[in-house]
Amino acid sequence: MNFEFMIKKALLFSLFIISSFILGGCWDQQEVNDLAFVTAAGIDKSEDGKVELTVLIFIPKGKSSQQGMEGGGGGGAADTLFRSAEGKTIADAMSTLQEKLPRHIFWGHCKVFIFDDDLAKEGLSTHVDFILRHPQLRERSRLFVSEEKAKDILSLIPPLERDISEVLKELSSFRIGMDVTAKDYAQMLIGDSNASALPLIKILPSTPGQEKQTIAYVTGTAIFKNGKMIGDIDDSVTRGVLWLRNEIRLATISVKPNGKNDGFVSMNLLRAKSKIIPLIENGKWKIKLYAVGNSNIVQNTTDLDLSSPEIIKPVEKQLKFEIKKRVNIALWEVQERMNADIFGFAEAFHQKYPKIWAKQKKRWDEIFPSVEVSFDTNIKIQNQGMNSVLSNHPLKGVENK
Amino acid sequence: MKRRREMKKLDFTHRLDISKSLDEEKTQILNENDALSSSLIENEKILKSIYQDCSDVVYRKFLIGRETQALLIYIEGMSNIEEMDKGVISPLIQLENVNLVNIQILLEEKLTVSKATPTSSFQDVIQQVSSGNPVILINRQIQGISVGLGKWEKRAVEEPMAESVVRGPREGFTETIAVNTTLIRRRIKSPQLKIKKMNIGRYSQTQVAILYIDGLADKSLIEEVNNRLGRIKIDGIMESGYIEEFIEDNPFSPFPQILNTERPDIASASLLEGRVVIMVDGTPFSLIVPTTLYSLLQSAEDYYQRAIIGTLIRWLRYSFFLIALLLPSSYVAILTFHQEMVPTTLLLSVAKSREEVPFPALIEALIMEVTFEALREAGIRLPKQVGSAVSIVGALVIGQAAVSSGLVSAPMVMVVAITGIASFSIPRYNAAIALRMLRFPIMFLAGTLGLLGIMLSLIAIIVHLSTLRSFGVPYLSPMAPMQYSEMKDVLLRAPWWSLKTRPHLTGAYNQYRQTNGQNPKPPKDSE
Amino acid sequence: MIEQGKISSAQMAIMMNPSILATVILLVPAITAKNAGQDSWISPIWASVIGYLTVLLAYMLNKLYPNQTLIEYCDLILGKFLGKVVGALFLFYYLHVTGIIVLEYGEFVLGTFLTHTPMIIICGSMMIVCAFAVYGGLEVIGRCSEIIVPVLCLLYLVIFLLLIKDLRIQNMFPIMEKGLTPSLKGSIVPQSWFSEFIIVSFFFPYLADKDKGLKWGFISVFSVMFLMVITNITTILLFGKLTSELTYPVMVAARYISIADFLEHLESIVMAIWVAGTFVKITVFYYSLVLGTAQYFKLSDYRPMVLPIGFLLVLFGIWSAPNLQELSHFLGTSAAFYFLSFQVGIPIFLLCIALVRVKWLQKKGSMSG
Repeated sequence: MNFEFMIKKALLFSLFIISSFILGGCWDQQEVNDLAFVTAAGIDKSEDGKVELTVLIFIPKGKSSQQGMEGGGGGGAADTLFRSAEGKTIADAMSTLQEKLPRHIFWGHCKVFIFDDDLAKEGLSTHVDFILRHPQLRERSRLFVSEEKAKDILSLIPPLERDISEVLKELSSFRIGMDVTAKDYAQMLIGDSNASALPLIKILPSTPGQEKQTIAYVTGTAIFKNGKMIGDIDDSVTRGVLWLRNEIRLATISVKPNGKNDGFVSMNLLRAKSKIIPLIENGKWKIKLYAVGNSNIVQNTTDLDLSSPEIIKPVEKQLKFEIKKRVNIALWEVQERMNADIFGFAEAFHQKYPKIWAKQKKRWDEIFPSVEVSFDTNIKIQNQGMNSVLSNHPLKGVENK
Repeated sequence: MKRRREMKKLDFTHRLDISKSLDEEKTQILNENDALSSSLIENEKILKSIYQDCSDVVYRKFLIGRETQALLIYIEGMSNIEEMDKGVISPLIQLENVNLVNIQILLEEKLTVSKATPTSSFQDVIQQVSSGNPVILINRQIQGISVGLGKWEKRAVEEPMAESVVRGPREGFTETIAVNTTLIRRRIKSPQLKIKKMNIGRYSQTQVAILYIDGLADKSLIEEVNNRLGRIKIDGIMESGYIEEFIEDNPFSPFPQILNTERPDIASASLLEGRVVIMVDGTPFSLIVPTTLYSLLQSAEDYYQRAIIGTLIRWLRYSFFLIALLLPSSYVAILTFHQEMVPTTLLLSVAKSREEVPFPALIEALIMEVTFEALREAGIRLPKQVGSAVSIVGALVIGQAAVSSGLVSAPMVMVVAITGIASFSIPRYNAAIALRMLRFPIMFLAGTLGLLGIMLSLIAIIVHLSTLRSFGVPYLSPMAPMQYSEMKDVLLRAPWWSLKTRPHLTGAYNQYRQTNGQNPKPPKDSE
Repeated sequence: MIEQGKISSAQMAIMMNPSILATVILLVPAITAKNAGQDSWISPIWASVIGYLTVLLAYMLNKLYPNQTLIEYCDLILGKFLGKVVGALFLFYYLHVTGIIVLEYGEFVLGTFLTHTPMIIICGSMMIVCAFAVYGGLEVIGRCSEIIVPVLCLLYLVIFLLLIKDLRIQNMFPIMEKGLTPSLKGSIVPQSWFSEFIIVSFFFPYLADKDKGLKWGFISVFSVMFLMVITNITTILLFGKLTSELTYPVMVAARYISIADFLEHLESIVMAIWVAGTFVKITVFYYSLVLGTAQYFKLSDYRPMVLPIGFLLVLFGIWSAPNLQELSHFLGTSAAFYFLSFQVGIPIFLLCIALVRVKWLQKKGSMSG
């Protein structure tokens, strides 16, 4: 084969390839400049039974406007823009929303979904299904239920973070309250217990005159049964729930050591872990909660000398009692009052007693309120803190929590 | 159609003509193949007709022992004249006994130069004269004497420019093949080191040497090299690049299949691995065959620095190899197709900086890459003093002004800069050029098919690399075909005492290069 | 022989790994989980039995006909006419199966990454690259996979490594809640994938070290099984019952990775794995098809067949199913029977006849001798 012929062939071939690409165009190409990045979305129930979708869109500020901001002294102007639209479904609202935006709405970075409680009371399963189905939406996006309208929450301008989605993401990663992703929620929905839970958020009261400059924070948990919200529990009850779900990560517990009524010992929990062990004895369904962990003493307002092991013992005992109290409150609220198994008891029984479970599965709603929960904790005080100089000078005014 | 065929026919006959005329010319020159005649006058006449209009050829007539005519022919400036006077002309002129005028006797008894050989054909004479060795023709003798006193201006041995090292020898090859073979011989003193010479180039008559170590290099490889070199028919060889193109396996591949080096240490190490080195007179770059992709990514210094550091640097280089190839295209693909694949915070800050850029990402990347390539090319060609001015202009214009005017985004400048640095970190210039070239089609594909385009082009490159062979050795060996024992010199740079065997495909003749158990051990307690 | 090149058994094993696994990682975890629930990780272990069986079958047939491929010894075993019929069936079968692979590839890319790009471009561009490799011959395919596959496996394991913090071991329990049945049922679909190992019969004649062929074949089956078990365990531990509801569990798993808010959105890795893995898979099937066709028609070279068959494959890819749902349904139901009968049934039949023939010939030989 001579050179000229090969060159001709190669030229023809490459011409064919190149022209086929150029003529075909760039089908999926989208410049960043033509996209509107949604960072959070809120879904409300509007008056006429439709859904109202509100999205928070990042405004990419170019260099010049940044310089302008420097000149203006930076009044904390928002980096974000929020828009809302109504529709019969979320998808419907999405397309209406697109009509009002000059850029393509891009959902790939939407990490936070907020539902208002009116919508939650009607059930969220169809909406979560949408989140899982849409190719751009992420399974890891976090879900929240808000007491206020989601629209109002998205309109807030957080003073510290880029936007409200960042605030909620960070807050829920602390695991003070529940931290539920769309995937987790879908798993709860199809789980054995038929109950689910989502973190509940609320607007933090702001300083007067700067109404919008505040954040929303996690205040408790919304409890769902059969896919519908049936109630909510507050922050401290949520702690008990977290113990039962083995999701406790960060906690400060203050106890009054035995016999001393005039002070507290506060402890930071480290490496806490809990486990629920199901047991069926003589037809009675029982759960044993086994919690282990270490804690550090961070504050001591009593006159006790905590360096001696004899004194530590009752403090530890008191600590166990405190945890038990928290769990009991949670059980009372959720198990007895709402009869919603958000603790995963059903899965635990299913896993340990698959045969009995298969028979009794349908009666779970009747069995669940009567499940007895017992405790076995092994939480040690590991560390007294750095120094204990003023330990016998009681201070006053330390709040319990 | 018919016309085309006719054209082709014409074309063909034309070509025939050319080859015929080539042959004729050859025969004309070929009469120099004849033996020298015994008449000096006739010889002189023929030589003068051969060297017609060559004013640099000097004919010096003198008498040996006052009666026998002799002729000294040399080219001005290519021979050592003082030595000539001292060792050749004065003993001959002062010769007393005329009976001694016999080539053999003269060679053995009278000429006090170390290198002198009899020549018997015009071909020989011309070759010797052309390469600087003066030739003495004597009346009534059918042989002449060529004296090895070629000497011309040459560059001293200097540090190689293209391959510098921090630790390692600083000698580099020069333009003179004799110096270069000496540099190798000084490193490998064994008589097993063979140096075969041949002349290539009808006019240039360039000396080409094939170096190998007998007993290490595969016999068939040596033969193949010989054959391929023997097939070259060309006017002249100006650089080893000419030869490289004639003997490489796949001429249309962007990847170099033959390694070139200026460093005698690399050449010697390759010889010891059973490879063959080809040296060409007139260029400091010698060729090493066969070559694999990994040897293009290795630097001599890997073996001089400590093993762990060598390994780390190799990995750095491998990753920079990929970066040099893929970074701009990945940036384009992610920014225009897969915005969801970047971490959110990163994307938002890129989006911020791209907000006012008027070009699509692909165009932006192309502009920047082309500018960068041009800048680099300009920097190489310009004299050193101006080179720094170019880099200042580049840095100011491209880096500063383009970004602040909003024509180009700052991340793009970073991408281009990192890509540039990455391609500088590849030790072989020709391999780096291949990557620079391949970057552009990949960028186009990334701009039309996104990551899929990048993956497909990457796979196509891998397929292409797997089809390549360099003198029968698969280009990707020892990775594919996998040779586990050699991974320690590819994925790692194992310490020298553990590199016991030669590379499998070139050194199979003589597998072991060192004895076992040489790893340093703590001294045994003497009991 | 048409193919001049030789590969090593290890190269064959490396080639075969993604040739089975590439399409498994997309749809199969979900299909298996539908039948086997939380026991879906046991299913590949059962299914791998078929893998060992097919490799053994190919090996035994190769023992009898050491220099022939499946298509060639069809003729020798079944006689001229029947052999040609079975050979044609096989060729058509491979055309169809390769078409399905191309379709799966196209649908995945279309569904998740490039939603607006025409299918023909996506499939066509891949086929060009594959044709390039097939044109290079067996050695080139072997070498490519030696470069690609180790990187793939590494990336694949990295995905699972990064997911460790999101896994919940409880999702695996109760093990074998309903006995062995669900996991066996779940193994039917993976079985049809494992039966694809019969394609090694196209490579056995070209092994440089034939004695190690069986060993490396088994190693390859084991590696596929191992990766499938890891895949299924991870998806089950991550998604629990949700696994069966997802279309591409591995893909979603990679999207779910989030470490330190920065190491996230890693679906590109899945894309890379998937494209490179499918490349090896399509190339291996495409090559077998091209080689088989050339041998069927007794051509002296297979290279002229590369482009026409490649063109045909793109068309088959686009036509073999109208959408992903149909394909997934087909793969989850009737495909198992179809695949198994071709890839296990016919070879067993061939082996039986071949053995009888050999016995008969021996008898005849001993009688005459």
